[in-house]
Amino acid sequence: MPLLKDQDRQALEQTFGEMPGRVRVIFFTQALDCETCEITGKILDEIAPLGEKIELVKYNFAIDKDKVSQYNIARIPAIAIVRLDESQNESGEPKLHEHDYGIRFYGVPAGYEFMSLVGSILDVSSGDSQLSPQSRGLVAQVQAPTHIQVFTTPT
Amino acid sequence: MRMAIENPNIHADMIEVSEYPLLAEKYQVYGVPLTVANEDVRFEGGAPEPYYIPTLLQQLGINVTPKSPT
Repeated sequence: MPLLKDQDRQALEQTFGEMPGRVRVIFFTQALDCETCEITGKILDEIAPLGEKIELVKYNFAIDKDKVSQYNIARIPAIAIVRLDESQNESGEPKLHEHDYGIRFYGVPAGYEFMSLVGSILDVSSGDSQLSPQSRGLVAQVQAPTHIQVFTTPT
Repeated sequence: MRMAIENPNIHADMIEVSEYPLLAEKYQVYGVPLTVANEDVRFEGGAPEPYYIPTLLQQLGINVTPKSPT
């Protein structure tokens, strides 16, 4: 049984259809000892196909240790949202590289977190934070590595 | 989360905290949303961007006072 209502699916399809850049949604999961991994996987399996420019990749938290380390994943289920930029190598062949803004979602993306996940997919796709000029000016002054954690609940 | 897109020095996590009771305890999460920056700066609740961002950044030591018009 699908998780999304038809109208929600259509709305997402339309929104994702306007994405300028390609996005890789990287999902860290494991089969055991993770109650919410399965439902998170189902949600991602349902929304990723709604956007042509969305690519879903899955890694196993227990086995793919190099990826866990590369993306600095603290716990599961985890979702990293990165943009895929295309360029050409010396032979003129197309090359993809990831632009990682350090955006991570932990836990089931439900409710508020789901809205933020969709928002982040769109913002990463455009590379535009959508912040006001005043906010941008302030944020630009952050020189030191800064870790922001936003805690939410599904309701 | 948008701050992470704006500045590469910033990385941002969103955490569905009911799944991680140890985190809820560590950060004393009693109401959501709660924003924690660099472990010790806290912003409780939600707020519009023009308040949220300057308030958070001020606690991180950024000078947010607007220049007075000359």
